[in-house]
Amino acid sequence: MTALEQLTKTAETLTNPAIERWKEKGGKVIGYYCTYVPEEVIHAAGMLPYRMRATGSTGTELGDVYSSHLTCSFVRHSLDQAMRGEYNFLDGLVALFSCDHIRRLFDVWRYGKIDFPYSPFYLRFLSVPSKIDDMAIEWMAHEILGFKRSLEDHFQVTITDDALHQSIITYNERRNLLKKLYELRKKKAPPITGAEVLSTIIASTAMPMDEFNQLMKQMLDEVSGRDGASDYRARLMLVGGELEDPGYVKFIEDLGGLVVTDFQCFGVREFWDLVDESSEPIPALAKRYIERISCPRMIDQPRRDSFIKNMVKEFKVDGIIVQRMKYCDCWGCESAMIAWEAKKVGIPCMVLEREYLTVAVGQLRTRVQAFLETIERAQSGR
Amino acid sequence: MADKYETHRQLLETYKRTQAQLAGDERQKARLAQAKMHQAWLEQIFNSVEMGRPIVYSPVYPELIYALDLQPLFPEAWELLPLRQDMYALCDSIDTAHEAGINADLCSFGKSLIGSLLRRKIPPPAMIVAPTFPCDNLKISYQVLGYLTQAPTYFLDPPYWMDADGAQDYWLGQFKGLISFLEEHSGKKMDYDRLKEVVEESNRMVDHWLKVMELRKMKPLPQGGIGLGGILTGQTVAGLPIGTEAMKMLLDDIKGRIERKEMAIANERVRAIWFHIRIPYDRDIWAWMGEMGAAVPVTFGEYSSIELIDTSTRETMLKGLAQRALEMPMLRQGRGAVSNWIGDCLHAVKEWQGDCVILAGHAGCKWIRGGYGILRDTCRERGIPLLMFDVDFLDPRVTPPEEYRARIEDFLTTVMAR
Repeated sequence: MTALEQLTKTAETLTNPAIERWKEKGGKVIGYYCTYVPEEVIHAAGMLPYRMRATGSTGTELGDVYSSHLTCSFVRHSLDQAMRGEYNFLDGLVALFSCDHIRRLFDVWRYGKIDFPYSPFYLRFLSVPSKIDDMAIEWMAHEILGFKRSLEDHFQVTITDDALHQSIITYNERRNLLKKLYELRKKKAPPITGAEVLSTIIASTAMPMDEFNQLMKQMLDEVSGRDGASDYRARLMLVGGELEDPGYVKFIEDLGGLVVTDFQCFGVREFWDLVDESSEPIPALAKRYIERISCPRMIDQPRRDSFIKNMVKEFKVDGIIVQRMKYCDCWGCESAMIAWEAKKVGIPCMVLEREYLTVAVGQLRTRVQAFLETIERAQSGR
Repeated sequence: MADKYETHRQLLETYKRTQAQLAGDERQKARLAQAKMHQAWLEQIFNSVEMGRPIVYSPVYPELIYALDLQPLFPEAWELLPLRQDMYALCDSIDTAHEAGINADLCSFGKSLIGSLLRRKIPPPAMIVAPTFPCDNLKISYQVLGYLTQAPTYFLDPPYWMDADGAQDYWLGQFKGLISFLEEHSGKKMDYDRLKEVVEESNRMVDHWLKVMELRKMKPLPQGGIGLGGILTGQTVAGLPIGTEAMKMLLDDIKGRIERKEMAIANERVRAIWFHIRIPYDRDIWAWMGEMGAAVPVTFGEYSSIELIDTSTRETMLKGLAQRALEMPMLRQGRGAVSNWIGDCLHAVKEWQGDCVILAGHAGCKWIRGGYGILRDTCRERGIPLLMFDVDFLDPRVTPPEEYRARIEDFLTTVMAR
């Protein structure tokens, strides 16, 4: 099996052999719900950070008991998975005020509505600022310190500055490897598809990082030599929040729109910015997590707009698809602003509303096909 | 500017007429107070528009803005007022926002504001102040307002857990940052003696409000729904003599009723804690519930643990203002964990002697939606009957009044039969 195949397989299921091996050796796994959780702290504690997904969920019957029909479907599926015991491999859970849906999901855990696999189960809700300034960075450092201490107290471990520094190096390595992968996507014939990239990023959040970095290096060697796809109809940028279904991207790509870059949670936003390795670990982490390219939970729209426009240029994007989970207010307004800005500068842009499970396939096909035709018509008119 | 805010100018005339009609009628003091207050606020805004005084959009208490002689405009209140005359008054703004690409499932407060701005139905801001709470809708729709108007925008961002070490200082820092922001963009310097005067005036208003809410704990309820509306009052004219005067009239109204032994409804059989704001376009819902024997002593539009501010030093005053912003109705319940909201609901049931809880589930309030299951379990464990139904506070097309009223009626019938 190639490295890419291994990574793709890892992303297909909620848990995977790497996690099973980790657990068999007595390792702890800490789930986290958002890219604003500093994984390095969990890693430095000798534990495995696991980015929460609901992969494999087929319904929300149990999750709906503690949510509503106006709750985002990712949260409903994830709650459902939790109530079915699908996350029993976790030893703890960390979240933050990513959005109204996630904070209430955490409340359900906090109120003990979910049977914890272990007792006492570690639960932590981080108070991450929504603004980007010196005061917010200082608060974030204070918050990370509290997070570190709570892990130490709960699991009776010590997280040294050296361990944190080493974790920062390990996670920066991951980020740099992913950036190398994105460099390949700038080619006229990118040797990797958007769906494969999404699988790779998902895998990187669900396995020991050293193991991932090794596989990633192999994978880069493998794909660098590949003949890339050049028969696509348009180069697309995929923008949005939670999207953990490579099948969704593949569907778009099968219609001829090659996804060459993104602005997603499982994507650029979570790895693009590095942590300064030469500074004290906690202040460096605080600075990176507050100043990183943001999502709409942060008061930072102009900078996001510039970032997207730069990516469009760098990756020679022909069109932007914004995928937005229904009932997500943050991405609802953000997608409107992205579309308004795209129109101003003449970039074709389409906003797709979706649910966690890709169900309305016919409608999706029609809209993507029409969008690709629009791009082609615009290109032929140039 | 198609109509120069014609709807609100018509409203202003209505408030004037109402005052003329009700003047001297002891039994209509509460309505009179409300009309006076809204008239004063709208007149100020129109004067500011004409005089070019900078308008500051702000859904938090306005003392700092008044002290700098700027014009606060609480956008949500601006949107709500026309609904009292025309239940469909905001549909055009909501539809405009949809057509512009705003998600249909966004809270209609955000949609109508964005739409009203696009339709020029609301005066544009020179500056925008907004909290990052109680919900995603507010945080993101105010970013859209900033985007559309290019007005400088300042967000007040509290820590999630306000009881955490350093949280109060961080929050105070946010408030001090707001003063710097207002000074920078208005070119004015805060006069702290003037601020003290404004805060002392708002203290007088709050003092009356707290007394009104205390008297509303009486059983049977002495004053009908007209006494409610704290959220509007506080956020439009707090710090102005008219705010104090209006709230004093409300207090006099309830005291007079108690003296005269007049009750809100003839035969109080059940007390319902309405733990969201009143449905703004359903003007006579409290009277309609009253006909069934149901009194509503408090909604979370009035529920607050707001306190009087110590004005003895600049620091105590700023701390008090910062704290007051956190304790505002809705902002208090919406920030942080679900326990804030549910805890307040249980407290309201106890203090205002509620027999049941009614939750009008506003379509836009995702932060409440995610707490449905926990609220239901909590009420069930305590034997508190609970009704939850879907509604949109600004858009009656979502759930027509006859539909939700039928559910309320069934529920109250069941509660009364217990």
